Amino acid sequence: MTVQTLSDWTGEVRSVTIGASRADGGTRTGTVTVGGERDLPFIGTPPTGHRPLVAYEICDDRSLWPAPVNRFLGDRASDPAEWARWAGQEYAPDLIRLFLTSTRKRGFSDFESVTSTVENVLQATGLPLIVEGSNDPELDSEVFRRIGEAGEGERLLIGTAEAGHYRSIAAAAMAFGHLVIAQSPIDINLAKQLNILLREIGLSQDRIVIDPYTGALGYGFEYSYSVMERIRTAALKGDDDLAMPMISSATDSLTVKEVREADPSESDSVSVSWELYAMLPAAVAGASIVCVRHPSTIAPLRAGIDALWSSPGGGG
Amino acid sequence: MIHVENAIILGKESLKERMKHLSGTFSYEETAYHLPVSYALTGNAVHSADEARAAFQSTGENPLVAVECLTAAAETTAGKAPPPYTGFLPDAVLRTLGYSLVDGSILGLAAVAGTPQSPDAASALCRELQEKYMLTFLSGGIVDSLRGAGVRVGPELRLVPLGESPSSAIHFIDILARVAMMFGGVTPGDGERLLSYARERARAIAIVFPGLTDEETALFDAFRLLGIPILSAGEYEGNEWIRVSPSEAVRTGMDLKGIKVSVTAIPIPMACSPAFEGKSIRKEEMFVEFGGGRSTAFELLRSRPASEVEDGRIRVIGPEIGEMRQGSAVPLGIIVEVAGKAMKKEYEPVLERRIHNFVNYGEGTWHVAQRDIIWVRISKEAVSHGVKIEHLGKLIAAKFRMDFPDLLDAVQVTLITDEQGVISAKREAEEIYAERDDRIRGMRDTDVDCFYSCTLCQTFAPNHVCIITPERPALCGAITWLDGKIAYEIAPSGANQPVPKGKVIDAERGEFEGVNRFVKKASHGEVDRCSLYSVMEYPMTCCGCFECIAVLLPEVNGFMVVNREFRGDTPSGMSFSTLAGTIGGGAQTPGFAGISKAFIVSDRFLQAEGGIGRLVWMPSMLREELRERLVQKLEERGLAGMFEKIADENVAETIEDLTAFLAGVNHPALGMKQLL
Repeated sequence: MTVQTLSDWTGEVRSVTIGASRADGGTRTGTVTVGGERDLPFIGTPPTGHRPLVAYEICDDRSLWPAPVNRFLGDRASDPAEWARWAGQEYAPDLIRLFLTSTRKRGFSDFESVTSTVENVLQATGLPLIVEGSNDPELDSEVFRRIGEAGEGERLLIGTAEAGHYRSIAAAAMAFGHLVIAQSPIDINLAKQLNILLREIGLSQDRIVIDPYTGALGYGFEYSYSVMERIRTAALKGDDDLAMPMISSATDSLTVKEVREADPSESDSVSVSWELYAMLPAAVAGASIVCVRHPSTIAPLRAGIDALWSSPGGGG
Repeated sequence: MIHVENAIILGKESLKERMKHLSGTFSYEETAYHLPVSYALTGNAVHSADEARAAFQSTGENPLVAVECLTAAAETTAGKAPPPYTGFLPDAVLRTLGYSLVDGSILGLAAVAGTPQSPDAASALCRELQEKYMLTFLSGGIVDSLRGAGVRVGPELRLVPLGESPSSAIHFIDILARVAMMFGGVTPGDGERLLSYARERARAIAIVFPGLTDEETALFDAFRLLGIPILSAGEYEGNEWIRVSPSEAVRTGMDLKGIKVSVTAIPIPMACSPAFEGKSIRKEEMFVEFGGGRSTAFELLRSRPASEVEDGRIRVIGPEIGEMRQGSAVPLGIIVEVAGKAMKKEYEPVLERRIHNFVNYGEGTWHVAQRDIIWVRISKEAVSHGVKIEHLGKLIAAKFRMDFPDLLDAVQVTLITDEQGVISAKREAEEIYAERDDRIRGMRDTDVDCFYSCTLCQTFAPNHVCIITPERPALCGAITWLDGKIAYEIAPSGANQPVPKGKVIDAERGEFEGVNRFVKKASHGEVDRCSLYSVMEYPMTCCGCFECIAVLLPEVNGFMVVNREFRGDTPSGMSFSTLAGTIGGGAQTPGFAGISKAFIVSDRFLQAEGGIGRLVWMPSMLREELRERLVQKLEERGLAGMFEKIADENVAETIEDLTAFLAGVNHPALGMKQLL
C-alpha cells in the first residue's frame, strides 16, 4: 500500500550523529545518526530520514532505580561498566544511556567518580553513549565539566538541559565537542525557547536533541504524544528552532502504581508492557530515540519499530 | 606622568627593529592554533622568522603579532617559564576556561600588568576581581608584589601568573584569539570577524600599573583594537587610557564592558517563570484587580539619569494589599524607572511592553493590554502566600535586570494605588504616550523597504504574527515601526524581526510577497496570505491584545470600530469582549480585524474597502479621544463634516437605530460600492 504525503512540507529535521569512531577521533565501534525526516513518521516507501533507535538506560547508583529492573538484573546492576558491557552483548541496543544517579543524592561530593564512571563505561562498551549528569546548581559546573572531559572526542549526547539549568551542559558540549538533550515540560513554546537560549549562548542547533518529556501511559502520555506531533509538524513547516530530532524515555512508566504493585510473578512482563506501549507510540509520534530500562523491552520494541518501518501505513 | 603616545611610537619602532633581526624557528606546544594571534589574524601558521615577518607586514605591523612572534621565539630558546609562571597555556586548559566562561562560573577576563606602588592596593584589587568571578591573568612585577603581600596565586585561585615581564600579557590575547576560534566560530584569517567577536562578546579588561617598557606600552595600547579598555592605575595618560585609582579600577572596567554579577533568584513568595505566562486568573480565583475598565490604571517605563535611579528600590504609594477588599477593583499606576549607559529614550516603549510578559510570569499575577488600558489581577492563592503589591515591583525590577543585563544598570519601580495619585501620574503618562505616537507620525509605508514582525504573543496565540509598518502599528498599539526596529537592535533574535516587503502583489489591499513569505513561516504554515490594508480579504491574524476591533456591518455598508474600554453592546449585537473572544487566538477572520487606535487615523485604514469614509460607528469615548485627529484626517480625505455623521452609542445602540441615523445624516458609506 502506498500512502500519499499529507502536505507539501518545506522543512526537514536536522540529522544528528552520536558517537565518534576511531576515524573521527573517538573509540566507538560504530556511530548512529538520527533525524533527517522530511515527512511525518513512518510515511512513504521507504519512510524519510533515519529509523528510530532504541537506547538502554543504566545508572551508577541503583538505589534510585526502579525495583522491577533491579530485581531482574540482580548483581549486574552494581557496576555500570559491567552492566553496559553485558547489556550491549546480550540485548544489542543502539545506544547506552548512563544516568549518574549518584549525583542526585544528598551531599554528593565524589567528583572523581564522575570521571572514572564515564571512562569505565566508555571502555566497557563500543556503543555510542548518552550521559545524564546532576541537577543541582551547586554541582553542575564541576559534574558536567568532568563528563565533557572524560568523553572528549567521543561525541556524547549529554543531558539534560532545561530552562534555568542549561549553561554547564551547553558549555560541556561546546568545549569538548558533544551534543545536548534539551528538555521542556510538555510545551512546544518552552521547547522552542530553550533551543533559542542554547543558540544564543553559542551552541549550534545541529548539536541539540529535544526531549519533550514523556509521561506514562494513562498518566499524561497523550499530552506528550500531542506535543511531539506538534514539534514534528512545526519542524516540517520550516521552524528552524524546532527542527531537531527528539528523544523520549519511559522513565515514568516503571514507577506507576500498576507496575509497582504487580504480582511478583508478572513483574517483568508488566514492566515490559508498560515500557513498550509508551515507547512504540512515542516513535509513532516522532521520537527518534526511545529509551527503556528493562532489558527485555529492547527486542519487542525494536521489532515493532522495524515492522512499522518496512510496512508504511500498517498495510501488508 | 607618562604620556603614552610617545612611548607607543618608540615602542613600535623598537618592535619593528627587533622583528628585522628575528631568526630561527619557533612554536608553542600543545596547541592546534600555532601562534594563535598571528594565526587568527592572517590564517597562516607562523613557525619561522620569515613567516613571522610576513605576518607582521600583512597586519600593518601590528604590535600584537610582533610581541607574539618575539615571545614565542624567546620561550622556544629559553624553555618553559619557571614556576609559578605558566607562560603559554595549552589548548586543554583553554577548553576548560572556555567551559567556565560559557557556564557562567567565570564572568570575564582581566589582564593585570606592571608593578604596583602599593602591594596592599594591588592585593585588594585582585581580591575584588576574585570576588566578582573574574579570571585574572598577571604579568610583570605584580606577581611578586602579591606574593609579598601574602596573596596566593595560581590558576585554581583564578589568578594566573603568566610571566615575570609585562610582555607576557600577550598570552592574554592568544587566549582570547583561541576562545574566539574554539567557541566563537571565528575562522583563522578572518581578522574582521575576530575583532568584532572580541569587541562584542569578549568580556575582557586590562589594568596596568607602572613599569611598562615602550614596547609593552605599544602592546597594551593594541589591546584597545579588541575593545579591551585599558585602565591605568599608575602614571600613564593619553590615547584613551583611562586613569583610575586602584580601588575603582575593577568597577570601572566591569561597567565599561557591561560585566555584571547577575540576579538569579527573585525574592518574592510566588513562583516566577515563562511557564505561567499563558495561564489566566478567572474572576472566582481573583483577590483584587486593577484597570480593565473597572478602575483607573496605567503603566509607564522611563529612562532616568543614573543618579536618580536606585537599583532595586520599590515604592508603594497608597494602600497595600492588606488594606484592599477581596473581589474589588483598585486603581494602579506602575512606573518603572531605568538607568543604563546603553539605554536610549527610544527604547522606552519596547521595554515598557515587557511589563506585560513579566507580570504574567508570576504564578499568581495576570496582565493584559498596555499603557493606560492595562488590566491586572492578583490571585487569592498568591495573596494567601503573602504576595503584596510591593512584590509586583520586585518581580518587574528583577526581570528587567535579568533580561536586559547589557542595557540596564539600575531599575526602580513605583506602584501607586491611591486614586488621586494614579490620576495625576496618568496625565503625565498620557503626554509621554502622545509624544511617542508623534515620533512615528508622518512616516509612510512607501518610505521603507522593510516592515517588522511581532510574535511576542505567540505564547497565547501560537500562530499569530503581527506585521508592523510605519502607518500600521502593532494591533496592541504599544509597538510602532520604530519600536520594532529598535527592539530588533536590542535583541537581534527576539520577537521583532525585519520583514522585507518584497514585490507588491496588491497595492490596494497591501499584500506583499515578502510579508506573505514571512507570515507563512512565522505562523508555522497556518497563514499563507496577509493583506495589511484590508479587513475583508486575508486580514491580519489577532492575538488578544488589540486596542480596538474593526467590524463589518453589512446592513449599512460600513465598518464600526469598538475599543477595549467600551463595556456596552455595539450595533453588531456583541460587546467588545464577545467580539474579542470570536476573533482572537491567532485566527484570520474576514470582516473583523484587531487594530490599534492610531491606525484608525492612518490613510491605510480600510484602504481596500474605500477608506475612512466607511467608518460608521464608534463609542463616544473613542470618538472624543480621536476627535481632533479624525476631523483633520477626514478633511484631508475630502470628507469634511463627516465627523458628525459617525454614530456612537448615544444615537445608535442597535443596527436598526444605526441604519436610521446614517440615512438621516446621509453618511457617505451608504453611497459607496456594495461591500457584499
